[in-house]
Amino acid sequence: MQEKMIDSMNTAQKTLQDSLAQSKTVENLGFYPGNITFEALLITVLGYVIVFMALVLLYLFIANYAKLLRLKILKNQQSKGEPEAAKPREGEISGEVSAAISLALSLHFAELHDDESKILTIKKTQRAYSPWSSKIYGLRQYPR
Amino acid sequence: MTHLLEMLKEIIKYTGFANITWGHFVMIACGLFFLYLAIKKDYEPLLLVPIGFGIILGNIPFLEGAGLQIGIYEEGSVLNYLYYGVVKGIYPPLIFLGIGAMTDFSALLSNPKLMLLGAAAQMGIFITFITALALGFTQQQAAAIGIIGGADGPTAIFLSSKLAPELIGAIAIAAYSYMALVPVIQPPIIKLLTSKEERLIRMKPPRSVSRLEKILFPIFGLILTTFISPGGLPLLGMLFFGNLLKESGVTKRLAETAARPLIDIVTILLGITVGASTQATTFLTWGSILIFVLGAASFMVATAGGVIFAKVMNLFLSDEDKINPIIGAAGVSAVPDSARVAQMLGAQEDPKNFLLMHAMAPNVAGVIGSAVAAGILLGLLFNTAM
Repeated sequence: MQEKMIDSMNTAQKTLQDSLAQSKTVENLGFYPGNITFEALLITVLGYVIVFMALVLLYLFIANYAKLLRLKILKNQQSKGEPEAAKPREGEISGEVSAAISLALSLHFAELHDDESKILTIKKTQRAYSPWSSKIYGLRQYPR
Repeated sequence: MTHLLEMLKEIIKYTGFANITWGHFVMIACGLFFLYLAIKKDYEPLLLVPIGFGIILGNIPFLEGAGLQIGIYEEGSVLNYLYYGVVKGIYPPLIFLGIGAMTDFSALLSNPKLMLLGAAAQMGIFITFITALALGFTQQQAAAIGIIGGADGPTAIFLSSKLAPELIGAIAIAAYSYMALVPVIQPPIIKLLTSKEERLIRMKPPRSVSRLEKILFPIFGLILTTFISPGGLPLLGMLFFGNLLKESGVTKRLAETAARPLIDIVTILLGITVGASTQATTFLTWGSILIFVLGAASFMVATAGGVIFAKVMNLFLSDEDKINPIIGAAGVSAVPDSARVAQMLGAQEDPKNFLLMHAMAPNVAGVIGSAVAAGILLGLLFNTAM
């Protein structure tokens, strides 16, 4: 028991030391222009230039590969012949037809409410008696 | 009787009342303020609710060092285990996976020159780096503080976990606070730097982007950016991987998991542990306050950098290709809040001017830019941090 307690105390002490070491706060804050060394300036300028260059490179890549892809698509269309490319393939429905079908379906389903039966009826329901659902236990009984 | 008194004394010694300091009060008030901002003002509730509650959770006073294993800095406590994901930089890449699976890069692909706005806005990171150095922080700490200007919480946590783990709580709280306060911080800067005519500029509608373009972008984007900045590999890798899951069209289930349940789980764990890491006894220092001030400055410089660069670009663009400089502010990342701010400001001047789609381009470029910047700073400074 005692050993266990010593162990736990040691662990606690270690934990506290660790957390203190981890939480070493910033010391000597103030204004030190001397800290801006040539190396620090180099990191700043070089870092920013590299970030810029990385994104410029990505920009150039996107701008050009989009062009290349468009060219390829145009070439494909030209080789197949423009009118043929515009035609839907066999078994495929053209965009206009799909749009028309979608519109018709949408109108049909949206108008469903108007076709509903307007006759309202109250159906009688029959429930088997149970003391759990009995009204008499749920109502207050006022003394007369 | 004396035994009973002894026991009572012992019990009292362990209660919060016996261990409270003014710092705990201040931090609990901060947590309550965060919750107020999130619930009442609707400022980034998905982040501020976990963080705000985490701050309260982390500042319930207890007898530190008694081996109770309850505090976030106590080895073996549940919170300590969860905090491991922050300290070791595990959560940020997982968040980036979700962001990638949610992001549509179409706006950027249709008008790639807007990528430069995302690069320009990273200016805040490097100017703050130099300022923090002059204020007495070490190079590693200054880099971790500077990245707040990237307005990207996960990136800030990732870099500070590697370079300055002792500042992680303050940096994370500052980064997420400023992300939540985008609608408050950015509009005055944008208005100050732009004229009414500039804010009224209508941009050309973006072209439609083919599926092939969308699929190729994450693959080549990853290769290009990580070859330049391998330090950003965990973030950029996950970002582009998530995007490929979305755009490939054949891994819908994986994309949905990354974009919803996974990112939600990680956000909960990250938010609560980052909040709890602000334990008053370790967090409340002049250094933390200075980090907050530097973070705000960094964010403002980044916003200004994006707006000014958009104005410079306009000098070289034809009338029909002109950029509305408001969207330059979206280059600071903070997806999608800064894009939303651009849309809101544009609509204030001209209700029929829809800038959201255009602003999303520098916004996502900013995410890539800040991850690249983090990678570069990590590469340059990690060895000296060891």
